[in-house]
Amino acid sequence: MSILLDKNSRIVIQGITGREAAMVTKHSLDYGTTILAGVTPGKSGQDVHGVPVYDTLKKAIQIHEVNTSVVYVPPAFVYDAVLEAIAANIELILIATENVPQLDALKFLARAKQAGVCVIGPNSVGMITPKDRVKVGAIGGDNVERCFAPGRVGVISRSGGMTAETSWMVKRAGYGVSTSVSIGGDGLIGSSIKDLLQLFEQDSETDAVVTFSEPGTHFEEEAAEMLLAGEFTKPLFSFIAGRFTESLPEGTVFGHAGAMISGGTGKPSQKIFKLQAAGAHVLERFDDLIPLLKQKLD
Amino acid sequence: MGKLLENYSKKIIGEAGVAVPKNAVARTPEEAMEKAEEIGFPIVLKALVPVGKRGKAGAIKFANNVQEVAQLSKELLEMTVRHFPVEKVLVEEKISIAQEWYLSIAIDKQAKAPVIIASLDGGVDVEQLNREHPEKVLTRHIDPILGLAEFEIKEIWSELGLTGKPLILATQALVRLVKVFLENDATILEINPLVLTEAGEVMAAASVMSVDDSAMYRHTELSTMVQLGSERSWRPLTELEKQMVEVNELDPYRGTARYTEMDGGDIGFLCGGGGGSLLSFDALVSFGGKPANYSEVGGNPPERKVYGITKGILSKPGVRGLFVAHNITNNTQVDVMAKGVVQALQDMGKDPLTFPVIVREAGVNEKDAKEIFMAAGIEYYGDDATITEAAQRMVERLKALDVDERGK
Repeated sequence: MSILLDKNSRIVIQGITGREAAMVTKHSLDYGTTILAGVTPGKSGQDVHGVPVYDTLKKAIQIHEVNTSVVYVPPAFVYDAVLEAIAANIELILIATENVPQLDALKFLARAKQAGVCVIGPNSVGMITPKDRVKVGAIGGDNVERCFAPGRVGVISRSGGMTAETSWMVKRAGYGVSTSVSIGGDGLIGSSIKDLLQLFEQDSETDAVVTFSEPGTHFEEEAAEMLLAGEFTKPLFSFIAGRFTESLPEGTVFGHAGAMISGGTGKPSQKIFKLQAAGAHVLERFDDLIPLLKQKLD
Repeated sequence: MGKLLENYSKKIIGEAGVAVPKNAVARTPEEAMEKAEEIGFPIVLKALVPVGKRGKAGAIKFANNVQEVAQLSKELLEMTVRHFPVEKVLVEEKISIAQEWYLSIAIDKQAKAPVIIASLDGGVDVEQLNREHPEKVLTRHIDPILGLAEFEIKEIWSELGLTGKPLILATQALVRLVKVFLENDATILEINPLVLTEAGEVMAAASVMSVDDSAMYRHTELSTMVQLGSERSWRPLTELEKQMVEVNELDPYRGTARYTEMDGGDIGFLCGGGGGSLLSFDALVSFGGKPANYSEVGGNPPERKVYGITKGILSKPGVRGLFVAHNITNNTQVDVMAKGVVQALQDMGKDPLTFPVIVREAGVNEKDAKEIFMAAGIEYYGDDATITEAAQRMVERLKALDVDERGK
């Protein structure tokens, strides 16, 4: 099984002719991932490393029955690209683009939710299911196997780079990953830690999950609530980076609204406290992951 | 998010049809006197700095005549409010206030929607009010797709207890403020207080506004009003930080390099990836290390960007060693990192024998990177060590330096 991505994923890349997207296409093909089509307006008839390009997503779907889209278009065009994917009945959209305007994100995330479409990102470096050699996005670069071995541990990371590093630590401990997901570093993203924990809970091929977190958001607080409610029953290993930020002076207070909405959530110490109280294995140092995985999984 | 000074936010909401007090900007006491006479007394003088709670900080003053304007504006212009030196003051008409209300619009990231927060108890510390009397504070989300209808906005004020002409005027003001928020890609728009004047007018007496940096490409005029680099800092940028912003801007579309100076510290810190950098910093601190700065690079920066930021890091007084670490990279070419770092060390006359440098860089082109670092005599690790292990080595090397120095 695994989550989100498997051998049944039929992948299209929106914005495939861009420099970054073309390189990612090459690396994905080299890894063994099948990419059926790409979309760039006005470039129908071209190909990128053998992948045919279409003007519209609609056309790509008619010919290739794609169900998973990777968005690589520039920030100003992400809103439209996501709407196009929703309209074309894509089931899973991964947005790689960084610096998407917040109001655009609010709108397309609301539309995706209405349509029941799963969105990963924006600002996601990608995700990967090593067992089926399927990856989307830059994740793993040109040397995917170094960090990603097939196995039964799920990985969720706010940081793109640490998605690889965390999966590499899992491999170093003697295990592998079922699926690793970079959920994106922006404040507004489609799928949170909680959303993915729900999927990992149901996945018969995942035995445990490792999360890499950063300051900000309420994601870990939500995860802790899930644990307490018995909605996630597998071992959860969490590392919260950025503890030092709490000893820095706080940013200049600019209005009260932000503080009222957050209600003080987002501090590493609070995340650690809540996760520990809920029974998660919170890592004191990141390297503790290796002995702890061995201890809890063997 | 970029902050706007109050004169700009007032200009924007004023142009959208929301009443604001007459105001003008002054850079000198003489200018303040002149503007005050044009506006008429009594006058409010406010320090124009991108921080909130200025009243508590003593950065808002009241003047009844031109002599007081001269004296008080001089005092303000000599102040530093939460590390921000006051360079300008806002000279403003003093409003006769009948009632003070609170209003803000912000983005609720958890609910994934803009949210309106309103209360008829304004002018006070509304965070405290929200804790102690949550029933007096009303929140209402704005549907990201449909927006909020005028009747829904009317309901907010009605539920809070307004009726008669104030209800009509407050509704009209909030309709316009929601429009300002959405059309300008704002992240915060706070009016505290929104007042009912004795003349029966609804007016925005004080305003705070931040806009989304990522959306500035579609707001040419607005982008010139934003305080650059105002998002992260709890103080104005230092000289070195400003130079590093320039280093980054030299190649704006190729990778990013950020530099934040810490108080004191002796470890130069050059790390990569947002999460990897946080982890690296925590790791150094956990072993007793004291980083002198926080720097992260990412997105495959060109050599001169790496070179520039490394030179900046090394130029801070008191730096005795350099820690370079990255998570295993997906796209950043670590040989380019190597070239930039080694060149900067050489040009700054730092010998890795006496100036410990620990590197943990693995990923794209790491074979070349390893050769470059090793040839320069640098202690290099690839994926044979974790970031945490490398951080521990860094702190050990600095401690060994202490022992050497004591031995001399």
